[in-house]
Amino acid sequence: MSGEDGHPGGDVGAGPPVLELDEVSVVFSSGLFRREHVHAMRDVSLRIEPGETLGVVGESGSGKTTTGMVALGLQRPTSGAVRFEGVPGVAKRRRGLAGSIQVVLQHPQWSLDPRMRVGDSVAEPFGAATHRTRNEGDVERDRRVGAATHRTRDVGAAEAVRVMLEEVGLEPSFAERYPHELSGGQRQRVAIARALITRPRFVVFDEAVSALDVSVQAQILNLIKDLQAEFGFSALFISHDLGAVRYVAHRIAVMRHGEVVETAETETFYANPSHEYSRQLLEAL
Amino acid sequence: MVAAFGSMANLGGDPAELAGARLQPPSPEHWLGTDHLGRSLVPRLLEGVGVTLLLSSIAVLATAVLSTALGILAGYAGGALNDLVMRLVELLYAFPSIVLAILVAAVVGPGRPAAMAAIVLVTIPLMTRLVRAASAAVSQRDYVTSAIVSGVRLPKILVRHVLPNVSGTIAVQGTYALSVGILVEGGLSFLGLGVQPPQASLGVLIQEGGVYMVAAPWLIIAPGVVLILAILSINVVGDGLRDRFEPRETRSLR
Repeated sequence: MSGEDGHPGGDVGAGPPVLELDEVSVVFSSGLFRREHVHAMRDVSLRIEPGETLGVVGESGSGKTTTGMVALGLQRPTSGAVRFEGVPGVAKRRRGLAGSIQVVLQHPQWSLDPRMRVGDSVAEPFGAATHRTRNEGDVERDRRVGAATHRTRDVGAAEAVRVMLEEVGLEPSFAERYPHELSGGQRQRVAIARALITRPRFVVFDEAVSALDVSVQAQILNLIKDLQAEFGFSALFISHDLGAVRYVAHRIAVMRHGEVVETAETETFYANPSHEYSRQLLEAL
Repeated sequence: MVAAFGSMANLGGDPAELAGARLQPPSPEHWLGTDHLGRSLVPRLLEGVGVTLLLSSIAVLATAVLSTALGILAGYAGGALNDLVMRLVELLYAFPSIVLAILVAAVVGPGRPAAMAAIVLVTIPLMTRLVRAASAAVSQRDYVTSAIVSGVRLPKILVRHVLPNVSGTIAVQGTYALSVGILVEGGLSFLGLGVQPPQASLGVLIQEGGVYMVAAPWLIIAPGVVLILAILSINVVGDGLRDRFEPRETRSLR
């Protein structure tokens, strides 16, 4: 691994990284008697500081999506540690962390259940997360956001949905609609609203804008940036689109064949990529 | 066909009544003639259709419940549970349906319970496999992943997300299973292992008619035609349901 691994100054916050992957490897076995092994991730180490967006780029099959699944706790690493706010074992603590970690995924057509109203989709994580005791940080965050959202559950849910739809630039009336009545960009806005309704501290965006038109992509990227400034979540932004990543990420990690070949500040990376493969990727842009 | 189901109750008199001379050809008095005991065929036929449909419907309902539960779980969970369910189902699938039905009748003893059990066992593999496939596809979708990440509990995910999105498959397969069920009942009763005379069913009527095929062909033609029509119309309904469910799913693709 080359390039600098440090963090850009102290402006983004102190304390342990929100998410840290420490020498994580994931091996998938397949074939007769499981003799064939695919190394989806090899000794991947990544850190995401509070309020920071880490972009992960690389071509198909480079292990980007597996990295996202590991960060979400949906995929257990074969070896290595995943620490959320300094505590290891994200996959084991997944239920306890629900609401703190959220995800926005690739396909706008399947991101929402076609048989559920938009409002119910957005409210779903809210209902699931409010069963748990909330952290002190959340109260503080709510106050900063200025929304009287997480108080009582039933009144709270409808109100929280309205507030979130507004945050992502949609009319409250969208809550009554079904996904097939929405455009791709609108659906992805709804998916973002659903992810942020629990005020997560960490969000994974896996190819979240890749299926959208370029002009709509720009709107959604702006929205993500604005919301991050407002809510202060950290993010892992996975994409094969270097242009999109450049726009939202503070730092960039380049993956190839399951390995991180370069990690660098976004500015440094685009001005002067140090790894040969990074240069190839940039030239192809 | 549906009208026959509704009006079977009491059109054309008592099916058991000895209405006239035996083996009479169709006449204004007995539209489809009389059978070997002198019973008029029209009420017999109506009773038979009713019995066959009722029996098949109950059996298919049982299949639908079992297959939905098995298919959704196997499709969602994947892995070892999926393998176990699918191998069991394939074991059933490997038997020709009528052989399986005869086996059931041999174990349970001839009669209506045997016919129903046979229908359930024959239709379960067909339906479970398709529900599993649909469930596996739905389980991979992003809204399910999102729900898992959000901490929604498994039963709620299955009921709120997976079940509604495979209900189309269940409805379509249910109608096809119904037509298979009618065939199985017909075959089993024809062999004398299903519904027992004097109660009528399509299979019983065809069997009785077969004995007098040369002397009184109307006795086998009428129930045969009704059987064909019943299966045909059920399949038409199934196709209609499929057309209604599938375009909607492809439409939401874009």
